[in-house]
Amino acid sequence: MLAALCVLTGVALAQGGEPVPSVTVLSNVQAADPIEFETTRLLVENMRQLGLDVEHQAIPWEQQSELVWFNRGDWQMTAWRMVARPERMDPDEFVFNLFHSSTAENGYNFVGYINPEYDALAEAQRSETDPEARRQLVYDAQAIIAEDVPYVFVAHPQLPFVVREDVWDAETVVDAQGIGVKNFWTWIGLEPLGDETTIITNTSDVVQAVNPLYISGDADSRVTELIWDRLMRIGPDGLPQPWAAESVEYLDDVTVEVKLREGMMWHDGEPVTVEDVVFSFEATQSGESPMYQPFGSRIGSIEIMDESTVVFTLAEPWAAFEVASLSKVNLIPQHVWEPILTDLADVDENAEDFQEEIPIGSGPYKFVAWQQAESVILEANTDHWAAPAADGWVMRIIPNAESALGQIQTGELNFLTEWEGDAEVLAQTAEADANLGIYASADLGFRFYGFNTRLAPFDDVAMRRAVAHVMPRQAVVDNIFKGFAVPADSYVSLAIDYWHNPDLPQYEFDLETARQILLDAGYTYADDGTLLLPAD
Amino acid sequence: MSRDVLFYIGRRLLQSLFVLWVIITILFFFFRLAPGSPVAAYIDTTFTAEQEASVMARFGLDKPLHMQYFIYVGNLLRGDLGDSFFYGDSVVGLISDVLPNTLYLTLTSLMIAYLAGVLGGIFLAAQRGKPVERGGIVFTLITRAAPEFWVGMILLAIFAFQLRWLPSSGTGGATTIYASEVEKLTSPEFWRHMLLPMTTLALYLHGLPLLLMRSNMLEVMDQDFITMGRLIGYGERRLMLQHAARNAMLPVITALALGVGYSIGGNVVIENVFGWPGIGRLLVRAVSSSDYPLAQGAFVIIAAIIVALNFIADVLYSLLDPRVGSSAAARAS
Repeated sequence: MLAALCVLTGVALAQGGEPVPSVTVLSNVQAADPIEFETTRLLVENMRQLGLDVEHQAIPWEQQSELVWFNRGDWQMTAWRMVARPERMDPDEFVFNLFHSSTAENGYNFVGYINPEYDALAEAQRSETDPEARRQLVYDAQAIIAEDVPYVFVAHPQLPFVVREDVWDAETVVDAQGIGVKNFWTWIGLEPLGDETTIITNTSDVVQAVNPLYISGDADSRVTELIWDRLMRIGPDGLPQPWAAESVEYLDDVTVEVKLREGMMWHDGEPVTVEDVVFSFEATQSGESPMYQPFGSRIGSIEIMDESTVVFTLAEPWAAFEVASLSKVNLIPQHVWEPILTDLADVDENAEDFQEEIPIGSGPYKFVAWQQAESVILEANTDHWAAPAADGWVMRIIPNAESALGQIQTGELNFLTEWEGDAEVLAQTAEADANLGIYASADLGFRFYGFNTRLAPFDDVAMRRAVAHVMPRQAVVDNIFKGFAVPADSYVSLAIDYWHNPDLPQYEFDLETARQILLDAGYTYADDGTLLLPAD
Repeated sequence: MSRDVLFYIGRRLLQSLFVLWVIITILFFFFRLAPGSPVAAYIDTTFTAEQEASVMARFGLDKPLHMQYFIYVGNLLRGDLGDSFFYGDSVVGLISDVLPNTLYLTLTSLMIAYLAGVLGGIFLAAQRGKPVERGGIVFTLITRAAPEFWVGMILLAIFAFQLRWLPSSGTGGATTIYASEVEKLTSPEFWRHMLLPMTTLALYLHGLPLLLMRSNMLEVMDQDFITMGRLIGYGERRLMLQHAARNAMLPVITALALGVGYSIGGNVVIENVFGWPGIGRLLVRAVSSSDYPLAQGAFVIIAAIIVALNFIADVLYSLLDPRVGSSAAARAS
């Protein structure tokens, strides 16, 4: 298939004046993701105006990801999305993984973007520990991607959340930069106004696991970050701050001294020790926790200095160490996990398959129950140094969006953390009820179209730029997102001011500009309006 | 018990096992031919080629297909349905968590639907030709034709969100934990939560027995033994309930037996509308995320129950009615 395509384009280029190869744009199906489907329909129509022969192919997400991810020579252009996660507040993950050439074959650079100049920047920002210098590198990296257009950026969605303000003090809702109000700081800070003291949230997805050594779904991560502490946490300002660590101090570029907070206890009553800390980081490298492996991989060694101090020695300077490692790795009790990991060493299964009966962490909430397809129930850990103001935290699994909307109105839910329906409907409902407060803020995540830069016609940067000019961002934000989004121009979100390059080219929506770009690059139009390849 | 009957039972047992084997084999290959890879569910920016290979190896997906098949059948014979790719837990454990909820919901709904259907059918047959009959049939046809999610949403809007009499989702309140199935079944809270989904399902299910009962009644009422009864001077009420209804009910009971079989597969639509943690949602999720072991395991268990119920029904028939066993065996050979 790939060979055939190459031959075809080769022939076409040699002869010149041939029509541009036909294009298929992939998206999710309408029922599963109406926003992506509608946006794609609009974009495809505009691409036809350019004289391209374009087909919109809507397929279920599982098939789309299979094709894009595992069959990298068999697709041309696809709708895609990245979601917000606290650790993505540091630009490293996106800057490196999305476009570095080393991830083109099997990793996240599925568009196959290869540029040595970009590679150098991506590597340099990774080990540059001076924030100002690193920011310039990240700016430059964004500028290159904006020039070369391997992605057409669409928007950063604003996810709406609804809080019952007759139950919770609105003053204590924390809006974390790039994440919104559904975050750790809100869960420990919410102050009850009356007798109802349990935070009741919702998710539409099932809970896959409650496991500190496994990164499963978004819903699952809301639970794990409450049960397990980390040495640092990403604060509401988007920057890492000491958490289970009393202090984090750089002795030099590769030596970091961490003092552990005193008096912390595991939920089973055992004390949290520096040995537990070392064990937690070593567990990521045990081979039993593949998903956490990258978050500890560049630590050379960890040394215990005294009963509250450890020193990390990094294998090389690592700018994102605080965000991607200290704020990421869950602290787990050695007395619980050491025997488990020992047993797992001899079998095919690893720690990702293991589910503790009663998960034990040291975090501000304790595990009570996980009822399959129904709920996860946590209670406040009143012994924690940052004990929550609420008495409990519940996540109900509600697959029906309309039902979730009804439940926030009746009070069966008091914090709507997921809304799959129309954002406008939710806003109207909240406005009509004085007890409901709606919160929406720009998100780190973004939606975009990825070009397969390995294949014609998107191996040509002029073609990619032309398509970028026919993506009507503002219209999509206004009409399809119903205003609940901001137009995107980079993979670093506007929500993180510090890293977002403010001077990127904007690719205004303009059919004429797009046509001119193609004509300048040598493309021509046949009498019937069909776009023809450059003749050379 | 005659030799013929024993021979018949043995034959049916072998047939049942053969049917199960065919189902297992078809299921196995069917899921692997479907598009989408289980590994797609694990894609992440931090994923490397080695990690992907290790996931494939852990699931045994790096082995050739026929080897996977033999391993699967071998494990099945030992009663091991494997572990879910998605949850990591054992398939048997996952299914046994939610199967009871499905059974409570569907069996009570079926009971109510068939009780109401049979009585309603008799009533409508007795009202033959009157406006009540016409009205009853129209109502029944509407409930039969209306999509379950639509009926469910309307009941939710009225009873849960407007009147606020009943809860809308799950099997209990937000912080409720049932320590055991017994505690669950004896808790009024559980029944309050089940009321709306049960009503929705019963409304949908009651049409079949009602219409079946009504038409059977009308047929039986025309038969000679009823006319004979009238000549003897029995009252119409006694004729309908004691003589006609008994005979008219036989096909309805067959329909009920089939209904129980089907209902074990769960009611995906109702489970989604009411957030009911049943086997239907588990199955849909398993299929969509290419969780082969869980999807296959669930289907195998459902198929085994249906095949077993059929087998038991056949055996009971042959014991109750000797004609079934001997003649069937003779005809078949």
